[in-house]
Amino acid sequence: MEHTSVIRAALVVAVAALLDAVVVPYLTFGFFSPRLTLIAVVFAASPLRDLQAVLLGFFGGVLLDALGGELFGVGALGGLLAAALSARASAVRRKGTERVLLAQVAGLAVACYDLLGYTARWLAGLDVPQLSEYAVWGVLPDALINALIAFLVGGWLLQIVIVKTPHSWE
Amino acid sequence: MGRKKSSAASGLAALIILCVASLSLFTVYVKEGDCEREGECGPLHTVQLGAAEVLQPVRSIFAAVFTPVTNTGERVMGAFDNSREQKLEREVQRTEELAAQASRLERENAQLRELLRGQRSVYEYGPLAQVVAPVGDQFTQRIIINVGTEDGVEPNRPVVIGESTLVGRTTEVSRHTAQVMLITDQMFAAGVRIVPPAQFDPASSEISPAVTAQNVSYGQGLLGTDLEGYLGVDLVSTSARAEEGDYIVTSGRAGDKELLFPPGLYVGKVESVSSQDIDQFKKIVVEPAMNPQDLEEVRVITDWAGRNG
Repeated sequence: MEHTSVIRAALVVAVAALLDAVVVPYLTFGFFSPRLTLIAVVFAASPLRDLQAVLLGFFGGVLLDALGGELFGVGALGGLLAAALSARASAVRRKGTERVLLAQVAGLAVACYDLLGYTARWLAGLDVPQLSEYAVWGVLPDALINALIAFLVGGWLLQIVIVKTPHSWE
Repeated sequence: MGRKKSSAASGLAALIILCVASLSLFTVYVKEGDCEREGECGPLHTVQLGAAEVLQPVRSIFAAVFTPVTNTGERVMGAFDNSREQKLEREVQRTEELAAQASRLERENAQLRELLRGQRSVYEYGPLAQVVAPVGDQFTQRIIINVGTEDGVEPNRPVVIGESTLVGRTTEVSRHTAQVMLITDQMFAAGVRIVPPAQFDPASSEISPAVTAQNVSYGQGLLGTDLEGYLGVDLVSTSARAEEGDYIVTSGRAGDKELLFPPGLYVGKVESVSSQDIDQFKKIVVEPAMNPQDLEEVRVITDWAGRNG
């Protein structure tokens, strides 16, 4: 029998946000950087209820904003979108395909986050590259590589969040 | 038994409310004081400063782990990069040429020092600061250093290596940490002057008085990094003098505003100069004197002669 640990899910997202703030600056190359918080939100939120999922995404994003030092609110909205997408995807998932499906959701969430960040910078009056150039050389590779990372670590993340308890007759 | 899901309506309501909350956070963050002036630090910026302060020990640990790894990676990449070897050969040739001029420059410098005595900007430095870690995302080039307001550091102060090689400027400063916007950040800008090698000594940061004379037309412009990552000087008139190998130093000019940088801080050398007939300004690419990857210790210039004058 399986059940989902909300505390574990929150811890996974918190650790990912911390790593995002501390480690990811070393792993940023051009427009690509690993989006550990978003990946964690997608996998940690998928087994949760809708309300729990969006709250986890939002507060995970707020934590990322607070630790990261970039435009506040972008992480919150990105985390929220990632959680909402994950919750929708989990409604149609089939046994055995969760990892592939959630990796795709992570890729989509990263693309949304990149575009949100782009829009936020533009709204804040900061320099932004041309949208078409950024979409092709920034958003697309970022989404694909993060989807790959999500696929590789997703199974492990799901194992942490989903707790297996022995049946009463065992 | 299937998993229990809260009703779609409550989930959707929460989603909408939190979306509005996120947008509100963004609006407040952009509108609030950005900590670049004293006493104008808004609550969200304060949260980020507090987080930077708390994370400093963790960042130091990760920096100790990652810096050797990234340096090794660069060396390995450099070993396979033939263009680097060619570049080094050119550098050697140039160094030999410069060595030939050294004795002449030495004599000139001795004379110029005499002329400049009493005119040179006097800098006040904060304590030597260690670079803790890089911060930011794809669009930014920033670092955290381990000095803050308790060390006399304030926002918008020049950060240098050695005596006067400009690295960037402080942006957000907490009690024990400061964020430094590097000169290669796309948001960085500084008024600069293009000075021929014979008129400037990067080691002592002394500029010949001839540079500021009325009848010379040495190039002046705005230092900045474009979106493709090239550090350059904009707004340099096509009629102004600017040649490959010239030095880029801060001009210290900021109209009627308080000067962000004192004059004479060394930024780098002109790597290439180009312009077409239809251009109003020259396109100048600058090779920065500092490499962001090599930064270990820096100093913040806390004050200098003539800052408020």
